[in-house]
Amino acid sequence: MMQIRLAGIGGQGVVLAGVILGEAAAIEGLNVLQTQDYSSASRGGHSIADVIISKEPIYDVMVTRADVLVALHQLGYDTVKDELREDGLLIIDTDLVKPDREYVGAPFTRIAEETTGLALTVNMVALGYLVAKTGVVKKESVEEAIRRRVPKGTEEINIKAFMAGYEEGLK
Amino acid sequence: MRYPFPVGKSDFIQGDEAIARAAILAGCRFYAGYPITPASEIFEAMALYMPLVDGVSIQMEDEIASIAAIIGASWAGAKAMTATSGPGFSLMMENLGYAIMTETPIVVVDVQRGGPSTGQPTLAAQGDIMQAIWGTHGDHMLIVLSPSTVQEAFDFTIRAFNLAEKYRTPVVLLTDAEIAHMRERVYIPSPEEIELVERKLPASEEEAKLPFGDPHGDGVPPMPIFGRGYRTYVTGLTHDERGRPRTVDAEVHEKLITRIFRKILDHKDEIISYEEFMLDDADVAIVSTGIVSRSAIRAVKILRERGVKAGMVKINTIWPFDFDYIEQLAERVGKIYVPEMNLGQLYHLVKEGANGKAEVELIAKIGGEVHTPMEIVERVVG
Amino acid sequence: MMYMKSAYEIRDKYLRKDMLPTIFCPGCGIGSVLQFTLRAIDDLGLNQDEIVWVSGIGCSSRVPGFVNFDGLHTTHGRALAFATGIKLTNPDLKIIAFMGDGDAAAIGGNHFIHAIRRNLDVTVILINNFTYGMTGGQVAPTALKGLRGTTAPYGQFENPFDIAGLAVAAGANYVARWSVFNYLQGINSIKKALSKEGFTLVEFLSPCPISFGRRNRMKTAPELLRWYQKITVPLAKAKKMPPEELEGKIVIGEFADRDRPGLVREYEAYKKRAKKMMGWEE
Repeated sequence: MMQIRLAGIGGQGVVLAGVILGEAAAIEGLNVLQTQDYSSASRGGHSIADVIISKEPIYDVMVTRADVLVALHQLGYDTVKDELREDGLLIIDTDLVKPDREYVGAPFTRIAEETTGLALTVNMVALGYLVAKTGVVKKESVEEAIRRRVPKGTEEINIKAFMAGYEEGLK
Repeated sequence: MRYPFPVGKSDFIQGDEAIARAAILAGCRFYAGYPITPASEIFEAMALYMPLVDGVSIQMEDEIASIAAIIGASWAGAKAMTATSGPGFSLMMENLGYAIMTETPIVVVDVQRGGPSTGQPTLAAQGDIMQAIWGTHGDHMLIVLSPSTVQEAFDFTIRAFNLAEKYRTPVVLLTDAEIAHMRERVYIPSPEEIELVERKLPASEEEAKLPFGDPHGDGVPPMPIFGRGYRTYVTGLTHDERGRPRTVDAEVHEKLITRIFRKILDHKDEIISYEEFMLDDADVAIVSTGIVSRSAIRAVKILRERGVKAGMVKINTIWPFDFDYIEQLAERVGKIYVPEMNLGQLYHLVKEGANGKAEVELIAKIGGEVHTPMEIVERVVG
Repeated sequence: MMYMKSAYEIRDKYLRKDMLPTIFCPGCGIGSVLQFTLRAIDDLGLNQDEIVWVSGIGCSSRVPGFVNFDGLHTTHGRALAFATGIKLTNPDLKIIAFMGDGDAAAIGGNHFIHAIRRNLDVTVILINNFTYGMTGGQVAPTALKGLRGTTAPYGQFENPFDIAGLAVAAGANYVARWSVFNYLQGINSIKKALSKEGFTLVEFLSPCPISFGRRNRMKTAPELLRWYQKITVPLAKAKKMPPEELEGKIVIGEFADRDRPGLVREYEAYKKRAKKMMGWEE
């Protein structure tokens, strides 16, 4: 079982990234649960998506001890950092989060801007990085999930951002 | 028949969406509702699907009208559903009673949120258990189901329609804000994989003349649908077997109400559903329903790892409640814990069932968050 | 002069004999309005098995129990919400809602205006007797200022609802108001209402000597009818009268007769639009 928490602020597409990761797991026939929690402000407040992926039935209703925490913003990081296991994997946007523990990561937002010209594809960059680092699902499953879940006409741009993050994660 | 969503395969969807898809596959062709968090996604999905499958989805002026419309639709021959949350469920109590009295098959979904009153619109709770059972006035009987996963939200919705049709009764599906919005992998069967039950229709002119009789001895009268020449009169007043008001006749009233109880209680073995986990050698049992059951199962596993012989029961049918089963359970274990997201509702049913044969302890939690497994474990190990 | 069948013929054809006698008091106008309605159905040659009567709670709402049709006697004020489900599920059925003034305009006011706004295909026959007859003479939302009821024993101090006016404003296709004394106009209005698509309403000022009349110095139906004669003003005449002269009067006549598409037709078009938008149909 892997408990993954994605944390950022409203507008970064954190929940969509969680849904796409969950969809990818479902495509692979894995058990998966995805929930979300936003502060009441739809833009600028913290935004958290939980994804639990397992071969066994999932009884948890939220991430209690994250194996992986992806933090795209300091506010999101500060809100949930205590729920990451001591030996868990912290993935951050290195431009936007100043962590107080060991981490991996890259300037996801900058990569998004450079790759697609759109900062809002940061969620796909981070997702690509996460998938490369953890191997929790296959990248092909994520591509399929992106095609199913993003607005029509934006599939290629989102996949491009995802692949940029994926390549970064393989480095 | 073409469906507006994939069937015969798995999908990754929210609990509310699962309920809508199940309703469509169960043959529901009339939906009436009023917007309310966290049940609106059910309505929005029905609004999207219904016109495509030649069904009706309509936004009424309030929840009173919503349940009224589905009762009307049911008498016109449709399988019908509405969905709401606490504040709307409170408004529906009047016509829920009407549906019980007139023996109208309908499905009412209550997506529980924190209450009373407007309370916590976006957060989960289990505070409507007693309301679902006893909320409408007068002596009455109905069926209440409670899912704990998105798959169960789907499966129990199909079951809710089947039970409603079979026993000519309203069925309440009691879910919550957590299940409503969580996404899980759900298997959406194709229509040929689903077993559907349809209401009994009058087999003869004689049967049609007794829309509130008991021609088959099972307590469930055939339902003479409007527009088929039966000239049926349906009233919420106490009525005889033919449907004629008999408001001051004690015998008629007793016969009617006891039959409405009997038609469900005589078949409770078929209606009641629960699942046991690791109970065989247990000396501590956890009894829970809905979303909390997930944490309870995890708690049992942790307790077992710590050498505590714990087991649990997940209650799928809240009403009718299997008091006898709980008494037998109480005889087997020394102690029963009841974790629930309220200040004690299922607890009272379990305590009555245990009948003093085991100590029953409530693990209450309110505010919107589901118990963590450790919160249950810590109470059990003390 | 139209030919009229005998009342016995109408009774034998349409009433449930095993439900008689009715609950209505001597002098009550509901029976008259019921007769008008049955005559209209008979004159139009409508199929008894394709009509459903719905009602809420109150004296007028007991009518569906006495007529030999499918009938749904529901909760107080909610008849039109139930009717919405019946009609949209089986558009072939014609719906007649028999309502009282308290039922339609007080507890059911919201359902009433929204059913009209949707142009639900239903014919409402409304008994307006200014009172809650069944519960013993409390004031209704139609009671004119100064009229007495058990809950306004010193005379009503609130303004009354003009139900027909409300229905016109909300968009009904056909609206008429008569007193039970205007039986020919009444029958003709019901026939018209039953023949039209969408929401149609025929309101009747109807005597309730027992619960209402006794408390307002009109102990018998004839006294009440004479009073109706005094307070009602035909629409054509009312149009020429200054507002102050219409104070305390009730205008009678046909207030709306139009042909907006009914809810059933609108929903059928909506289904087609949905299928087209989703690419299911051309």
